[in-house]
Amino acid sequence: MSVPDYMQCAEDHQTLLVVVQPVGIVSEENFFRIYKRISSVSQINVRDSQRVLYIRYRHHYPPENNEWGDFQTHRKVVGLITVTDCFSAKDWPQTFEKFHVQKEIYGSTLYDSRLFVFGLQGEIAEQPRTDVAFYPNYDECESVEKRIEDFIESLFIVLESKRLDRATDKSGDKIPLLCVPFEKKDFVGLDTDSRHYKKRCQGRMRKHVGDLCLQAGMLQDSLVHYHMSVELLRSVNDFLWLGAALEGLCSASVIYHYPGGTGGKAGARRPQGSSLPADTGNRHRPGALTTNGINADTSTEIGRAKNCLSPEDIIDKYKEAISYYSKYKNAGVIELEACVKAVRVLAIQKRSMEASEFLQNAVYINLRQLSEEEKIQRYSILSELYELIGFHRKSAFFKRVAAMQCVAPSIAEPGWRACYKLLLETLPGYSLSLDPKDFNKGTHRGWAAVQMRLLHELVYASRRMGNPALSVRHLSFLLQTMLDFLSDQEKKDVTQSLESYTSKCPGTMELLSLPDGLNLPPVPFTKLPIVRRVKLLNLPASLRPQKMKSLLGQNMSAKSPFIYSPIIAHNRGEERSKKIDFQWVQGDVCEVQLMVYNPMPFELRVENMGLLTSGVEFESLPAALSLPAESGLYPVTLVGVPRSTGQISINGYHTTVFGVFSDCLLDSLPGIKTNGSTVEVIPALPRLQISTSLPRSARTLQPSSGDEISTNVSVQLYNGETQQLDIKLENIGTEPLEKLEVTSKILTTKEKLYGDFLSWKLEETLAQFPLQPGKTATFTVNIKVKLDFSCQENLLQDFNDDGISVSGLPLSSPFRQVVKPRVDSKPVNPSESSKAGDFSHVKTLEAILNFKYSGGPGHIDGYYRNLSLGIHVEAEPSVFFTRVSTLPATSTRQCHLLLDVFNSTEHELTISAKNNEELILHAGECQRMAIQVDKFNFESFPESPAERTQFTNPKQLEEERQEARGLEINSKLDIHWNIPSLKRHGEASVEGILNQLVLEHLQLAPLQWDVLVDGQLCDCDVVADCRVGDPIPLEVRLTNWSKRNVGPFALTVIPYQDYQNGVHNYELQDAITFVGSNTFYIDSVRPTENSVCLGALLFLYTGDFYLNIKFHEDTTSKELPLSWFCLPSVHIRAQGPDLQA
Amino acid sequence: MAVCIAVIAKENYPLYIRSIPAEQELKFHYTVHTSLDVVDEKVSAMGKALVDQRELYLGLLYPTEDYKVSLLSRLGIPCVKSMFPNQLHRYGYVTNSKVKFVMVVDSSNTALRDNEIRSMFRKLHNSYTDVMCNPFYNPGDRIHSRAFDNMVTSMMVQVC
Repeated sequence: MSVPDYMQCAEDHQTLLVVVQPVGIVSEENFFRIYKRISSVSQINVRDSQRVLYIRYRHHYPPENNEWGDFQTHRKVVGLITVTDCFSAKDWPQTFEKFHVQKEIYGSTLYDSRLFVFGLQGEIAEQPRTDVAFYPNYDECESVEKRIEDFIESLFIVLESKRLDRATDKSGDKIPLLCVPFEKKDFVGLDTDSRHYKKRCQGRMRKHVGDLCLQAGMLQDSLVHYHMSVELLRSVNDFLWLGAALEGLCSASVIYHYPGGTGGKAGARRPQGSSLPADTGNRHRPGALTTNGINADTSTEIGRAKNCLSPEDIIDKYKEAISYYSKYKNAGVIELEACVKAVRVLAIQKRSMEASEFLQNAVYINLRQLSEEEKIQRYSILSELYELIGFHRKSAFFKRVAAMQCVAPSIAEPGWRACYKLLLETLPGYSLSLDPKDFNKGTHRGWAAVQMRLLHELVYASRRMGNPALSVRHLSFLLQTMLDFLSDQEKKDVTQSLESYTSKCPGTMELLSLPDGLNLPPVPFTKLPIVRRVKLLNLPASLRPQKMKSLLGQNMSAKSPFIYSPIIAHNRGEERSKKIDFQWVQGDVCEVQLMVYNPMPFELRVENMGLLTSGVEFESLPAALSLPAESGLYPVTLVGVPRSTGQISINGYHTTVFGVFSDCLLDSLPGIKTNGSTVEVIPALPRLQISTSLPRSARTLQPSSGDEISTNVSVQLYNGETQQLDIKLENIGTEPLEKLEVTSKILTTKEKLYGDFLSWKLEETLAQFPLQPGKTATFTVNIKVKLDFSCQENLLQDFNDDGISVSGLPLSSPFRQVVKPRVDSKPVNPSESSKAGDFSHVKTLEAILNFKYSGGPGHIDGYYRNLSLGIHVEAEPSVFFTRVSTLPATSTRQCHLLLDVFNSTEHELTISAKNNEELILHAGECQRMAIQVDKFNFESFPESPAERTQFTNPKQLEEERQEARGLEINSKLDIHWNIPSLKRHGEASVEGILNQLVLEHLQLAPLQWDVLVDGQLCDCDVVADCRVGDPIPLEVRLTNWSKRNVGPFALTVIPYQDYQNGVHNYELQDAITFVGSNTFYIDSVRPTENSVCLGALLFLYTGDFYLNIKFHEDTTSKELPLSWFCLPSVHIRAQGPDLQA
Repeated sequence: MAVCIAVIAKENYPLYIRSIPAEQELKFHYTVHTSLDVVDEKVSAMGKALVDQRELYLGLLYPTEDYKVSLLSRLGIPCVKSMFPNQLHRYGYVTNSKVKFVMVVDSSNTALRDNEIRSMFRKLHNSYTDVMCNPFYNPGDRIHSRAFDNMVTSMMVQVC
């Protein structure tokens, strides 16, 4: 006996072995249909007794095993059922002959046999025969089960008779010696009459009877027989049979203790028929009657307690039995099977440690050279048994050994499919699941070395099996989950083989289903590359949609009635974490930035990397990238175009790495940082592109608050110059541009700027609207740079301090201090306070031109776009007014403004004022320029009440007023400069340099003094002619433009002659005489009124005379400023009448 | 002579494994891995006993079992060899924090006494405690400690 039945279990000892075999040509399908029906009849309640008969069916049984039938009767084939096809009566005898041949094989042990014939009809079929049953075909054979039951009953009769026959066999007759095949030759020539021999025969027979009792359902009887047998055999040291007797004892005890069976599914016994459910339940209770034994088995009650082994004893006896078996090399199969049976029992007793010892022993049992198939079977069963006792790792180990055995090189046709299947079964033992999701939680905690090995083997097996999709899947899995454990060389090898596999069969994201129901989930390469951060990018500032203000307000109010509430603010914060507060625009390219890195020691090529989205129709534009080996964080921008509007969610990204497609969902990525994944897509908006006539600037402006400048232009201008900037507006989008608004913003600058920096007229441009896609419109902006023309403060101050600077008039000190505050108000910038005299200081001016535009469906929804043009102007100084002063002109209504003009350019420059001629200045030259100006009446400027409220601060108000004055003066002066060599020209402004003091002088005094000689208004250069001897009326008129009463004043007219050599002759009493008083008194004059004093002069000689009208000091009220009392000096030329004649 | 020493975490993954000859490391991985079944079994059986009285030393886990299983040998030819060339015994030891030490001992030439094995484990345990005391060691990480390495090396050589 050499073929072990690894499925054996203790209960098999009580079964009858029936072999079911096909004869002739019977299709496998049909045979197994019948076999299944036959084997369903596995236990029978025999006749009236409550004994139960168990049948074990085999469709294949090696005849040499049958030879051990005497040793253990359950190994004996007692019944044979043959199944055959026979379609004609002609074939019948032949078929019947075959049946007999078949019977011969097991002939010695058979109790009975049956032949089932299918297909035969006619007279032969109608003959009633006990051993043959005829059925027309495989579908009409309802009585098969009945037939089998009859058959089994006939078997029982034989069994029962044998049992009774042997049991009653008393010592009177000679008991034959039962022996196993290999013993036969040992007993040749042995003394058969010795007591020893007889005892041996007796013991063996007892054991045999015990077996028969057990088979016949008489458990207690069998226990008794086994005990007796053990006693007998022990005394004669017949170890093999002693072992068998002990095993029989164990089996019977196991059957008693564990009615549920120990064999698991394979040997599961059905409950004992539906007719006895109550009894089945009772079997568990000690003291309850067993169903096996009432009536017929009288020993039940008496024997149970002492005969039946306790669970512990069962194991001890098994151990003993196995140790006896192990003495015989030829009983290896018996020993192995005993081990297996013991393990099954121990598994039920949950004594894993002892079970493992039995198994360990089983492993060492060396049978004869096993065939490969048997080895596989052996390892599989070992694995199964280890599984049974909860040793999953050991089980996996043996399963893997079995798998390897399937493809051993000695096998001609390696069973890769079987190998693969077995390997899959080892997965739980190595705590490996093929779902990559299980590896997402934290770091991998497993026995990586063995798991990797297993995965490698799976890959190899699946490849050899001819299923490249599977091997790609496994290899991807290996790479994805075991990446941390792979060495650099292994990483290279794995990826190389992966690439070679995928060249034939690309990896997909589909679920692979194996025929045996196992599903292999897709393996996305979330670690190749590793994504650390996902950030949805806003559109570039110029394309960013903005909501119209009014609509925004509505939205806000809809959310909450409160302007601010801490609770709402909190909620909003949470909301924000999920939703992003910017929008994307339909039809515009949107970007998502991923921070990725490559964990591989070589360059990683990622192809077809794109976004996975939902919610909105989205056209993803995949990218290919190549990451350097072990790169640090590397930004990758994935782009796409939303084609419809709504909420878009970025769910993940897809890649193709090493030919494997992966869809990586962000939710399943560990440790990823994201700023949210849902964005609103708003309807399409037009796109505006601007190009300008000026060169682009490399410098970018640093805008104050969030604005981003799309384009920058720069220009270099001389102070005072004006430049025209042509802007070409082109609609490069797909929607018509309907609306455009332009605003400008001058960035905070330290420089004081005069006049409008940027000015434009939008109407002409708007006339071309709406702008269809692809169309262009132009827009013109004037850039005017008008900075302070005063030179550096400190320099100016130097000039101021030299005493002579401001005016020729004597001044009292309080006025000087008025100048100072302006100096202080300027921010002191250390860098700017460069060395005095450094005139070539270039100043920069920056401004932003904002184009708000909208159109198309986005406009309807209330969105617009903002495009900003940064303008960067480098203002080089042109001319400086280093000093300013006034000289009173001959007329009191006028005065001379003296400007020291400094040419700070490197070119020759001409400068001209309103009506003056051009003044040529060489580079770096400074010249004085005098401009005669009418004095200004500043009081007449309207002062709007709005201005008053705006500048509540009096100081500000004052400055504002001063600016206005400056503007007025400047417009009158109209100073221009021109650089002929560069053909550049511009204006110069004095606004910034006019200080309080100069202004005072340029201002018309509120008291207007008019001196009329001979009814003619006398002023500076006017020479009044008069005749000697004629009295000339002199009229002094005072008009009060001030807001209060003035006066009284006393005026004295003092004539004098100027010798033009610095000598004034006041001794003119004899040349001029006054008619009336030479002193005038003026009473107080109320505002806007005037007062006139009249007098007369009589010139006695010819000559040029001057009249100096002076105030009496004591009468002049001190509180009025001196300049108010500025009277013109009168020049009178007295001519002799003769000369005229 | 110890041929393989392994430290296994509570969650049953290796913290440290070292074997001589080093080429057969995978084999020892399997050997140690399968031993865990017995360790688990013994530990769960002991769980009922009082913790403080518990014996940390688990004794012999498995006697010899030496399978050479390789599917992916250099030439890609699978081979299975079942052989018992030398006597390998596996001993186990479990700390109170359920960290397991497994030692594979080649006893073909020298038979080690239980006491010797016990003292070796005690040494190993002390060394392991030192590793744990290192503030820069993260419990659950693989052990990369020179001191521990040296101690293991000494144990592998010492007894032979």
